[in-house]
Amino acid sequence: MTLHTLESKLKHYRLSKAEYDLMKQYIGHEPNIIEWALYSALWSEHCSYKSSKVFLRKLFTTHPRVVQGPGENAGVIDLGEGERVAFKMESHNHPSFIEPTQGAATGVGGILRDIFTMGARPIASMDYLCFGSVDNNHTPKLVQGVVKGIGGYGNCVGVPTVNGQTTFHPSYNNNNLVNAFSLGLFRPGEEIFYGKASGVGNLIVYVGARTGRDGVHGAAMASESFDSDIEKKKPNVQIGDPFFEKLLIEACLEVMKENLVVGIQDMGAAGLTSSTFEMASRANSGLKMDLKRVPLREPDISPEEILLSESQERMVLIVEPLKLRKVEAIFKRWDLACSVIGEITSGEKVELFWGEECLASVDHKPLVDKAPVYERPYELPTLPITTKITAGEPENLEQTLVRFISRPEMASREWITKQYDQRVGAKTMSACEDGVALIRLPDSKRVLGMATGCRPLLMAWHPEVGAQDAIALPVLQMAARGVKALAVTDCLNFGNPEKPKIMGEFVSALSGLDKACRAFDTPIISGNVSLYNETLGVNIVGTPSTGIVGIRRDLSGPKSVLPEAGLDLFLIRTKDESLWLGEYASLIENTKPQGEARINLDALTSLQQVFLDSSGIAVSSQVVGRGGLIMALYKLCRDGIGIAIDYFERDRSIVEFLFAERFYAGVFAVRPEDSVRLIDTCRHLENFVDIKKIGKSQNDELRVNHYLNVRVESLNKAYQKGLGGIVEKMA
Amino acid sequence: MKFSVEIMPRPEALDPQGRAVQGSLQRLGFTVEDCRVGKVVIVDVKEENKTKALEQVHQMAEKILANPLIETFEVKAL
Amino acid sequence: MKPVGVLRFLGTNCDADVIAALDAVGIANKYIWWANRFEPSSYSAFVLPGGFSYGDYLRAGALAAHAPAMDDLRKAAEIGMPVLGICNGFQILCEAKLLDGALTKNISRQFQDEWVDLEQKSTQGFWNSKVRTHFRLPIAHSMGRWIAPADIVKRLEDNDQIWLKYAKNPNGSLHDIAGISNKAKNVAALMPHPERAMDDWMGSPDGKFLFDCLKAGGL
Repeated sequence: MTLHTLESKLKHYRLSKAEYDLMKQYIGHEPNIIEWALYSALWSEHCSYKSSKVFLRKLFTTHPRVVQGPGENAGVIDLGEGERVAFKMESHNHPSFIEPTQGAATGVGGILRDIFTMGARPIASMDYLCFGSVDNNHTPKLVQGVVKGIGGYGNCVGVPTVNGQTTFHPSYNNNNLVNAFSLGLFRPGEEIFYGKASGVGNLIVYVGARTGRDGVHGAAMASESFDSDIEKKKPNVQIGDPFFEKLLIEACLEVMKENLVVGIQDMGAAGLTSSTFEMASRANSGLKMDLKRVPLREPDISPEEILLSESQERMVLIVEPLKLRKVEAIFKRWDLACSVIGEITSGEKVELFWGEECLASVDHKPLVDKAPVYERPYELPTLPITTKITAGEPENLEQTLVRFISRPEMASREWITKQYDQRVGAKTMSACEDGVALIRLPDSKRVLGMATGCRPLLMAWHPEVGAQDAIALPVLQMAARGVKALAVTDCLNFGNPEKPKIMGEFVSALSGLDKACRAFDTPIISGNVSLYNETLGVNIVGTPSTGIVGIRRDLSGPKSVLPEAGLDLFLIRTKDESLWLGEYASLIENTKPQGEARINLDALTSLQQVFLDSSGIAVSSQVVGRGGLIMALYKLCRDGIGIAIDYFERDRSIVEFLFAERFYAGVFAVRPEDSVRLIDTCRHLENFVDIKKIGKSQNDELRVNHYLNVRVESLNKAYQKGLGGIVEKMA
Repeated sequence: MKFSVEIMPRPEALDPQGRAVQGSLQRLGFTVEDCRVGKVVIVDVKEENKTKALEQVHQMAEKILANPLIETFEVKAL
Repeated sequence: MKPVGVLRFLGTNCDADVIAALDAVGIANKYIWWANRFEPSSYSAFVLPGGFSYGDYLRAGALAAHAPAMDDLRKAAEIGMPVLGICNGFQILCEAKLLDGALTKNISRQFQDEWVDLEQKSTQGFWNSKVRTHFRLPIAHSMGRWIAPADIVKRLEDNDQIWLKYAKNPNGSLHDIAGISNKAKNVAALMPHPERAMDDWMGSPDGKFLFDCLKAGGL
């Protein structure tokens, strides 16, 4: 083979020369077309995690409540009382840039499959979205398309989308992020199923949609940065069909309930390839498959294309021969294809046939277990630049406030969340705008809480701090509503790992994530890595998004808004609270962030405890997040009840007091007769935590000392402008 | 000048609607080998020159009426 | 006591919620699978739940309207048995011509998830709450705009077939119509979801009154 041919092959299959040499070593001969395809898919970054594995191994993942940690389709935790939940978060970034609606839709479909393949019925989803600048050309089309995709898929499949986060930052201009989270419930007595191909003689059964040419070479694409060829790089776009997925969910849960399968796995990135090879690897068994028996959408699809196809809504089941008939009957009832395509053999080889012809006999170990693992060189980021907050008092504070909250970056996300069915399943207690989703568990009647985390602006300031915050903020938000955080899933979106600075961001962020998880005792039970988020040499700011799940015993807890006037308002915070002017500096002053975001994890566990205790007393609560204290106060006023603040921090400017992000503080509203009890919650932790009465709830107006007195109505009007500034640009 | 733009899913792309409709038709007793569902957009362009008008409609189709990633279109004069 | 039949089409996704609501008020219930024929007299009433039967492909409710079970549902409606359609159920009943009009795309052209206030405009057989005439229920649909030719609307008005109206029209429905019935008033349907408003913790308990009606009706 000439070098020229090898070079073009390496490019086509996206493997390095070193990887090719290693592959040849394992196989023992020049790879044939099938072997090239297999290695290309399974050794891609997306499937093998070759750049990240070495660092992921060090994360906090084991814990008594973890039933299944990273490594399977999703993680599972035990909630006690016989209830368990499976959850995971996954990215679908590159496809959603190319075709926003289908990219986002198939992202939702994929994560749902990861959940129900474990035997858990999906009961809630969340989305974490990052778009480029509000005024970037791509943004309107992307926002519209992505939201349509998520809503269209989730609503049709019947899983409520109960929470999410949408941020805008220039680093995502040509590389938007779509991270989809889903959670499924195992009711008491329901079994967990795994993706293991075990039992020699057991049948490999393909179910669901027919295979087409969707996304051929997609996994390899997700492992590569975009270049100017982006227009030409259009794999056949994967189209999702949520109706079909709904049928698949019902049929699969039924066969699992009837105990008719030994193992089950969905076909995700790299389709049939990754699912079968991973199943074989987990069970240490061999497989024999006849690709001719795969149901096809078009008659002329090649074996290579079949292996790599990313057609959606397909699953692989491992079934004992005696149980096949019953399995076929169930899939027939649900109008889905069901075809035996192979069987489990002894040994460790995967034999691929085309009818009688053996196309390849491949040892799965090198493909899955012995994929290359890289310890890429990295340059840790320098310490963050801390400055004094110098932003001066605005000429017209009210006008500035109105301008601030009407910015699409800060304003209401109702335009998005209104398009999501938040209540299908009749378990939802909250609204997306509340910040923490609350789902009532049908058996124990306890409340499951969930939130997302990660602030890109803070990540840009420093990856380790931002990553700690990606855990700390949602954990505290949940605590303020009475939910104790139990476990975490993450989506690690980063740029090109071959660049040491980017790898350094990754390492630093993981360190922050890990420290915070250990501090809050919330193990990471599942996750996803998306690297190569780089376009024309520009990398995204590293974004480790998180999905956090917890439990609340009581049916009721603090609301996100004030229900009435006359309540006492308290500010509860860490004694060493630090201030950092982020969003305000960026959006109003047009400067880099000022101040310091200092996270003291020891103090935060005390704060979490105080928030949890306070939640049993408070009527309403809001943790100070993006936009500072004024945003937290405004959010409490959204229903029309205002606030009068008669408190001031002498050593802080008005801008610091109102707009600086705090690490960390929360506002709690209580009935006056309960004030003493609230103050008492902080008493035994007064070394770490501080509580101050700052004002009262009142009718109609939001007043802050003598600085600000504005009608809630006009703030609502500004906030409700929402994403109008972006969306109006769409036809 | 009136034109119709017939927009169909690309032949190689999955057509979920077509698939569902085919299933229903078959259940009703019809023998249907394939079914694809698309849409028709009829535009009346203010342009006297037929060639120019046709070109405009093609531009409309490429730019907004169809999504070239997942759809094909055919323009017909009416 | 004969069970209420809850129809389940391919793609229906609010059936479990309806079953839970019927269980909550103590009404026996049983699934009716779309592909099966059934004997109407084995049941006491029928509910067509919400969701996305057949993915809403072609037109919402269009494909489900031709399911085998609908032949028997039609018979049940013709002999005066109580039939309730919720959301997609309303769409299916209109496509099956058991109710007048058609549900089309919301004026906003978007899916809308929100709470709405409703007024009960007239009594509708079983589905008539004597306890409340105002309800706060959630909607979640993209094809909720009810339309019909003027003469049909007039007929509905004259025959007292307009059941529920929105206090503030969210989707452009003609005359703010949120729910209607047939002339005999045994078949009724609404776009909002009563099964998602069974308790305060869900956001409103007003949906429960509708299911209580069924019980009070002597089933």
